[in-house]
Amino acid sequence: MTSDTPGGLMARLRRRRSQPRGRVRRRLGTVVRLTLALTLAGGVYAVFAPGLSADDTPQLSTAAEEGKALFDQSCISCHGRNAQGVPDRGPSLIGVGAAAVEFQVSTGRMPMARQEAQAPRKPAMFDDDQTRQLAQYIQELGGGPQVPEGGLRAPQGDEETIARGGNLFRINCSSCHAFGGGGGALSSGKYAPSLSEATDKQLYAAMLTGPQNMPVFGDNQLTPDQKKEIISYVQESLKQDRDPGGWGLGRFGPVTEGLAIFLVGIVLLVFTALWIAGKS
Amino acid sequence: MKRRKVDVNAVPGKVAGGLDERFQAATPLRSILNKVFPDHWSFLLGEIALFSFIVLILTGTFLTFFYTPSLTTVTYDGSYAPLRGVHMSEAYASSLNLSFDVRGGLIMRQMHHWAALTFVAAIVVHMFRIFFTGAFRKPRETNWIIGLTLFWLGFLNGFTGYSLPDDALSGTGLRIASAIMLSIPVIGSWVTTSIFNGEFPGHVIMSRFYIAHVFLIPLALLALISVHLGLVFKQKHTQWPGPGRTEHNVVGERFVPRYTIKQGGFFMIVFGVIALMGGLFQINPIWLFGPYEAYTVSAASQPDWYVMFLDGSTRLFPAWELRFDLWGWGEGYTVPPIFWPTVVLPGLLTVLPMAYPFIEARLTKDYRSHNLLQRPRDVPARTSLGAMAIAFWLVLTLSGGNDVIADKFHISLNAMTWAGRIGLLLAPPLAYYITYRICLGLQQHDREVLAHGVETGIIRRLPDGRFIEVHQPLAPVDDEGHGHLEYAGWVVPKKMNRLGALAPAIRGFFFPIEKPAEAPVSPGHPPVEPKSKREEITK
Amino acid sequence: MTTDTHGHDVDRDEVDIDDPRLSRFEIVREGARRDGIEIVHYEDPFPIPGTKAERRTVRTVALLFLITGVAATAFMLIYILWPWRYELGANSSKLYTPLLGLTLGIALFGIGFGILSWGKKLMPREIAIQDRHDGPSDRQERKLTGETLAYMVDDLGIKRRKWLGLAALAGLAPVGLVAAAPLIGGLIKDPTKERILFRTGWDPAENGGKLVRLTREDGTPIRPEDVSVGGQMTVFPGIPDGATNEHADSPTLLIHLRTKDAEKTRADAKPINVGAQWGNFVAFSKICTHAGCPASLYEQQTNRLLCPCHQSQFLITDNARPIFGPATRSLPQLPITVDEEGFFVATADYKVAVGPAFWERP
Repeated sequence: MTSDTPGGLMARLRRRRSQPRGRVRRRLGTVVRLTLALTLAGGVYAVFAPGLSADDTPQLSTAAEEGKALFDQSCISCHGRNAQGVPDRGPSLIGVGAAAVEFQVSTGRMPMARQEAQAPRKPAMFDDDQTRQLAQYIQELGGGPQVPEGGLRAPQGDEETIARGGNLFRINCSSCHAFGGGGGALSSGKYAPSLSEATDKQLYAAMLTGPQNMPVFGDNQLTPDQKKEIISYVQESLKQDRDPGGWGLGRFGPVTEGLAIFLVGIVLLVFTALWIAGKS
Repeated sequence: MKRRKVDVNAVPGKVAGGLDERFQAATPLRSILNKVFPDHWSFLLGEIALFSFIVLILTGTFLTFFYTPSLTTVTYDGSYAPLRGVHMSEAYASSLNLSFDVRGGLIMRQMHHWAALTFVAAIVVHMFRIFFTGAFRKPRETNWIIGLTLFWLGFLNGFTGYSLPDDALSGTGLRIASAIMLSIPVIGSWVTTSIFNGEFPGHVIMSRFYIAHVFLIPLALLALISVHLGLVFKQKHTQWPGPGRTEHNVVGERFVPRYTIKQGGFFMIVFGVIALMGGLFQINPIWLFGPYEAYTVSAASQPDWYVMFLDGSTRLFPAWELRFDLWGWGEGYTVPPIFWPTVVLPGLLTVLPMAYPFIEARLTKDYRSHNLLQRPRDVPARTSLGAMAIAFWLVLTLSGGNDVIADKFHISLNAMTWAGRIGLLLAPPLAYYITYRICLGLQQHDREVLAHGVETGIIRRLPDGRFIEVHQPLAPVDDEGHGHLEYAGWVVPKKMNRLGALAPAIRGFFFPIEKPAEAPVSPGHPPVEPKSKREEITK
Repeated sequence: MTTDTHGHDVDRDEVDIDDPRLSRFEIVREGARRDGIEIVHYEDPFPIPGTKAERRTVRTVALLFLITGVAATAFMLIYILWPWRYELGANSSKLYTPLLGLTLGIALFGIGFGILSWGKKLMPREIAIQDRHDGPSDRQERKLTGETLAYMVDDLGIKRRKWLGLAALAGLAPVGLVAAAPLIGGLIKDPTKERILFRTGWDPAENGGKLVRLTREDGTPIRPEDVSVGGQMTVFPGIPDGATNEHADSPTLLIHLRTKDAEKTRADAKPINVGAQWGNFVAFSKICTHAGCPASLYEQQTNRLLCPCHQSQFLITDNARPIFGPATRSLPQLPITVDEEGFFVATADYKVAVGPAFWERP
């Protein structure tokens, strides 16, 4: 890590001010540091240009105020002042709702490290409280879908909830995320991510808001109960249910099975043949 | 009453005598027991296929006790909770039941599937051995053709078996198969509706595939395997060249007992590897795929590995479609793009290899019978052709899984497709060229060692200050220090311990059985006995 | 049968096998000789019985067999006693199959390597040479057989009675057809009947002449507000069994485009697709025109539809035209509208055949 660049210096300054999350920071590349530096510059600008933002958002709750402060630090460079969006850099966040923010921020996709085909999942930059504050801010700015409070799994007891969730998963989700939830490729470098790390809330928020290229599954299409059934299926059947047939080979299907038959089966048998026909 | 005394030791003799009185078996039996088989590891590859076929029959018979080839809709009510209450075909439900509600059923199903993959893999590897060593040459062209037919029969049986569980993955494969049949010019739609008894998927396809999978194709396999082995028996096995080995004899071990014992042991190992894989590696988890519905699909939908090259060719083939109207007759006609990579290509891949022995004989004008194998390096053109075929196949197979590769290695899917298209054109000629050069290099090194001897690793400084490496010739040399050994088509020793210089050579496969001798080499002194007539040369 | 007729060296005197001085090996070797096989090298690896090395090898082989016994017993115990019924979650039932595989594999390895070590290490090694006798059969043999075959034809007298042969041929050929006819005739099914390849469940004829509603997989009809902007839904014809494999060609993807994209789609519509769109909603066949997989990987920002089987990509906003991959034809568009009750209906069947192309398809 080269920290003698101005960007690095700025980053280090910022790091000292916020809570220590050294490992995360260290992973971010120079671009991020530059972005952060710009953000800081923007923040400084905002501080020295009072009155600009004061009129636009008159009534913010305390949490939203906190969120706004975070937004103005980390998000404003791409999403613009008051989340109005910046052409060619970041879309407007008016009306995306708290659910979209919670998905994007808690999966670490936002803030983005660099512009590429698709923002990848990475360790989250903000903790749960900060994420909630950011979400609250965006929600109060423009409204939009919200993840309901309370449990996001289908109620226990009904035996067939998981099966119903499975059916819905195969109709709506498996085409991109694959039968095993491992994700899959889309066109030109885009992809449907693996569901292995997704939490209940993230799954719910993703269905509700359709992040990036994922289609939106509004509450009229998949009712909240159906969404919960899908979440139950993903978490309890796909992820927590151990493979009954031994090691699942990553659940990549015939590709890894074909690899295994040559790398394990045929290799073992050829070595045995070598030994059988060997002189010793 | 007095009990008759039975001489136990005389019983086998008496039984054998009685049998011979009836069947006159003594002479033919002895000639079978005494038949000589040559011994080389690469001659055991075909056995892997044979033994996995036996495992296939054993496990497959078990599965038939529980499988129902029916597309009638039922509601699942078995042990697998995440599918309980789901509507599905009886075929799928019975596949789930034999996995979860039959004790030990899952391992049987998995062993059956792994055995199938092993069967085809072993056939392919065996076929490469035959090809690269020239074992397909006269008089064995028939067996080569039978072998290729066995591959395609195994391919078909694999595909029909893969379709039987009627899960979403295999159903997708079946749908593609129906599209392939549809694409055949003129008769395509008739073939499809006749096979599916109407529109895809219809109601009869599982019972038709079932009888093909468990009876028709295995019967053909069994018959052809018998002929295949019978011909090996009749024509006798090929052998590598070597001391005492000629075109007119077989050097090896008699069939019984040691050779048979080894075969029996090898069968157990093949069975064991399949059992281990069947238990430890999950294969084709149909319960994750769900029942086949025309609208469900998964990212990364692939066929089993031996079909993957056709999937790859389909993915890579450009969007070229022939449309024409036959002088205004009808509404116009189409040859869809899927026809070329899935009907024409396999057709070529069947006909060309089958004709290859005859083409090679014609081109080389070599119509003699051959019982001695050739080292791949000695026939660079054929070896390079084989490498070319492997490169072609490898690009296609990798392209068959290109979406998985794209996803897991973060490459653009479109870039993968283009890489495959370009690779398909570039890789085979490149493989040909590289293999050809490698073969020539290896040939040249053989000749060099025959002429100059083995490198001893001993550097000597001459009085005039030059350094030379001492070579150990393999035979008496002429005045110029050159040996005059003919290349015998077999391994040329290239290390001193192959000549016994470091005797005793280290024995053992993974670990030395005997401790290697103290190195007798001291700098400047060649490790050969001084009294030997072999003389070192310094050129 | 002795094979000495082919003339390999038989100069050597035949051994009198009834000579009591012969060892059994010498008799065996004589038997091999009479079959054209010469055992040129025969070596017992342990010529002196009871050496340390021999005992060690015997112990190894015995140990391998004992391992088999233990593993096979373990297999039986696990087979009978281990909880084997499937249970959701991470529990011991998930170890049933792996444990069976492990014990069975070890048992088979034990017996396999035991037998192999026995054969390889304890049994005498030999080198035997057998003559091949290939090439053509003896000239006289060939002539005799050839003449016999030719004489069969003579016996029939075809040459003398040519018309008889022709008559037989004329009679036999139809019999051959009779043998093939039931198979082909029984299987054959006319694809042109009822134009099954050109019709889907969206045809009002399937619904008693009424327009067919778009429904979910459970049969409930769909209102425009059920699909959010940027959302897509797999819809089925609202007829009996419409969502089952009875109508495997009917699954359709209903997409709610953004206004901007919808306008572009409407403006770019091909003549055949004009009027098929309803508001910002479009419906395209889910069955890929390449190989029939469900092309359903919808990217809501780029409006591309990807087929996971062979990676054909269709641009929804341009008549679902194929823009990448092997597909050649656009996805057919289903003309839709909303009926008086506010539910989506298809105003007609697809105008072209759905799914993979075939010969008779224009």
